[in-house]
Amino acid sequence: MIRLHRLVNGFGGPAGFLGALIVIALLVMAVGAPWIAPRDPLLVDISNQLLEPGGQFPFGTDQSGRDVLSRVIWGTRASLSVSAIAVVIGMAGGVTLGLIAGFYRGGWIEQITVRFLEAISAIPILIWAIALVGIFGVGDMRVGPFVLANEAKLMILLGLLYIPTLARVTYTTALVQSQANFVLARRLQGTGGLRIMVSDVLPNCLSPVIVQATLLLAIGIIIEASVSFVGLGVQPPTPSWGNMLADARNYLMSGEWWISVFPGAAISLAVVGFNLLGDGLRDRLDPRHAAAVLAT
Amino acid sequence: MASLFLRRAGVSLLSLLLVSLVLFVLTRSIPDSPARIVLGDEATPADIAHFDADHGLDKPILVQYFRWVGGIVFHADLGKSFTTGLRMNDQVANTLPVTLELVMLAFVVSVVVSLALGTMSAVLRDTPLDYGARLIAVLGVSVPGFWLALVLILFFAVDRDWFPPGGVVPITDDVYEHLRSLVLPAFCLGIFYMAVLTRMTRSSLLDVLGQDFMRTARASGLSRPRVLMYALRNALVPVVTIAGMSFGHMFGWALIIEQVFNIDGLSHALLQAIQQRDYAMVQAVVMVFTVVFVVANLCADVVNASLNPRMAAAA
Amino acid sequence: MSGPLLQIDGLHIAFGSRSVWRDVVRGVDLRVSAGEVVGLVGESGSGKSLTALSVMGLLPLGAKVSSGRILFDGTELVGMRDGAMNKLRGRDIGMIFQDPLSALNPAIPVGKQIVDSLRTHASMTRRAAEARVVELLDLVGINQPAERARAYAHELSGGMRQRVMTALAVSSNPKLLIADEPTTALDVTVQAQVIGMLDRIRRDLGIAVLFISHNLDLVASICDRVSVMYAGRVVESGAVEPLFDAPRHPYTRQLLRCVPRLDGGTGPMPTIPGLPPRFGSVLPGCAFTPRCVVSQARCSAQAPPMRRESGHLSVCWEGVP
Repeated sequence: MIRLHRLVNGFGGPAGFLGALIVIALLVMAVGAPWIAPRDPLLVDISNQLLEPGGQFPFGTDQSGRDVLSRVIWGTRASLSVSAIAVVIGMAGGVTLGLIAGFYRGGWIEQITVRFLEAISAIPILIWAIALVGIFGVGDMRVGPFVLANEAKLMILLGLLYIPTLARVTYTTALVQSQANFVLARRLQGTGGLRIMVSDVLPNCLSPVIVQATLLLAIGIIIEASVSFVGLGVQPPTPSWGNMLADARNYLMSGEWWISVFPGAAISLAVVGFNLLGDGLRDRLDPRHAAAVLAT
Repeated sequence: MASLFLRRAGVSLLSLLLVSLVLFVLTRSIPDSPARIVLGDEATPADIAHFDADHGLDKPILVQYFRWVGGIVFHADLGKSFTTGLRMNDQVANTLPVTLELVMLAFVVSVVVSLALGTMSAVLRDTPLDYGARLIAVLGVSVPGFWLALVLILFFAVDRDWFPPGGVVPITDDVYEHLRSLVLPAFCLGIFYMAVLTRMTRSSLLDVLGQDFMRTARASGLSRPRVLMYALRNALVPVVTIAGMSFGHMFGWALIIEQVFNIDGLSHALLQAIQQRDYAMVQAVVMVFTVVFVVANLCADVVNASLNPRMAAAA
Repeated sequence: MSGPLLQIDGLHIAFGSRSVWRDVVRGVDLRVSAGEVVGLVGESGSGKSLTALSVMGLLPLGAKVSSGRILFDGTELVGMRDGAMNKLRGRDIGMIFQDPLSALNPAIPVGKQIVDSLRTHASMTRRAAEARVVELLDLVGINQPAERARAYAHELSGGMRQRVMTALAVSSNPKLLIADEPTTALDVTVQAQVIGMLDRIRRDLGIAVLFISHNLDLVASICDRVSVMYAGRVVESGAVEPLFDAPRHPYTRQLLRCVPRLDGGTGPMPTIPGLPPRFGSVLPGCAFTPRCVVSQARCSAQAPPMRRESGHLSVCWEGVP
């Protein structure tokens, strides 16, 4: 009982714990999609077109007779992977830049990094993501020996566009931490700058970064869905929540509600999950920084 | 104050130049050249060279860039489309007003509602009203606008005839119908930022209400409304910053909303340009949006400097 | 007028939430007569600031007056509705806080803050209020008051901020001024100036002052009477001179020994060994027992008696047969 209580508080309270449960469930679905999904999400079955939810199709079927439940489960994979990898890219770039700028404060390194970040934050993310995916075309793109699928392009773009937000969070914390007494003490011991930065300052900057990253995951899911919805994200027939909704649009007026409701609900559930988790973690890890800056 | 504005404006201008260069280089580095797209696969190298010379595409990329920027800065001319030959200025003039109106409407409503809701939520902390406002805020950031749009169209436009399911009635036809046709799109566009700003207002105000100077205001016997004004002067600073960014970001989300509601706005034009591989148009539209975004952020800085002079001194 | 201006009887203040409340101020009695300066002395955490805030009706969230009476000018303040209380605040009772930088609104010019207070309590035109602000700033010893009125708190020096704070607190000619550690956040050289200014103002305007401090020298220099608090209780009170010359309570004695003196000779600074009791913890007897140099067996078991001799009160077993 007490252990459960401590577990719940570890996520900043019941709401954060609920968020963690949702996120874990989503992760399980994303990873285990081939085993969890009852049917092949791509299997077209003209005899079972537009069936209402019930019986062997709990979420019904779409215009091609594909199982909506299986497609929603496989869609988790597309949504989470785009969102998660984008955040990883954003963290790699943002934390590095923010840390360097905050640690080497007062020098030209800080000046250049801060100006550079200021310049990129003059970019409205969504428009650029859409325009750039549009410019490069929605098909596979060849970069040297690599072939980038459209999802990969989206991940990289979103990741790049997340950099300023994450860098700013890291920078403000690193600025304070670098002047803390324990860092001074390390310097007096003669420890090298780079080493202090990585092993002393960095760990102390991670709390606000983790909180921000969780919230960016939620935003990433919405952006992926939106971009796929207008046909520039995950390409059919690969199911994603966004492109399922794009299909569903044509059947909205004729009353086949289940094609749009289930993927839409999945998006909302995922976003609620990440938001609750992020808020909970903030209460737990970073209570002073009450207001997070949203990136989109 | 004036010098602060000038410095911020200078930085913004530099950012714009840098960002526009990146955009320009990216649009020029795509595998298909405009000549290929327009003339097709059968075109001879001579045809292509001719096309490039006509459109100035044979010049070095930096020269092309400075011509383009020069056109924008000195002649307010966004250039011509290589593929359709249409003047971009006309295109933008035709489509920007609807988008601008939509975004303005969504922005004003969401700012007004979120300030009221967030303030109420903070002042009446831990009452049912506060819980209600917080619930709305969580739902607002969690429901994607385009999905909400689909559901609302189904509910209010298809099942009931309260609002039109799409399109915008021109204001010159009928003012009432015009506004009616904007209600659903503006709502779907604004709800996300309404939720974000409500949360920000609430947490920022709670933070300020706990400060020493608020105790002084109470100790001076000031009336409740005035005490609240004292708090808001300080609490609104982060809210204004985010509101400024929201305004710019709304143009991005407008793209999705315009798509769902079949509105011929600038965002919709961007999508069309992408589909037609009209990169000059993509470039122009993105540039217009970026300028709007930068200007909105600049306005937020100015509002903040007048709200809180210490900000201005520190910046 | 009969009776003191401010009369606090058996004040208990508790911290807590829902069902669990713990008293941190336990039975404080205090009197301030019109025009009088009363000092309230004690270590941080002794409950002196809470006592002051309870008079203003501005206890922090999670704290409440659990029992006792606070009479101001014959009116009961405990349980008074906030609307009525708000009419007293600023008009009849002014308050000065410890850190003037955080106590002044950073986003509003200091003059405007005084103008707003003035116009809340009296119907005045903006222009008249602005003129009055310049007078007030001049009164508290600020040079170029008209320009300073337009400044923001962060543009002023520490001493000047506390002068502004004082001008704000006395702007509507209150009967009582509560000064909560008004000089603690200031440089030593500025402290004396601000105290001198405070003393002059309260004489000029005939304001009674409740002066809260842990600085005994300051209290001795400007107060008429003084109450010493320890762990939520008043342990000794009386007129300044007899109390400082012949302190009766061992805590006061030990406290006075800790004040550095120029003629004190060499050797280590005396201190009081140990720490004050934990916030809200309850002992049946005297809370000072563990640190007291003259404690007896009954001290920790039984509450000490109150003994009063010619207005000098002490709460201690010492010398009781």
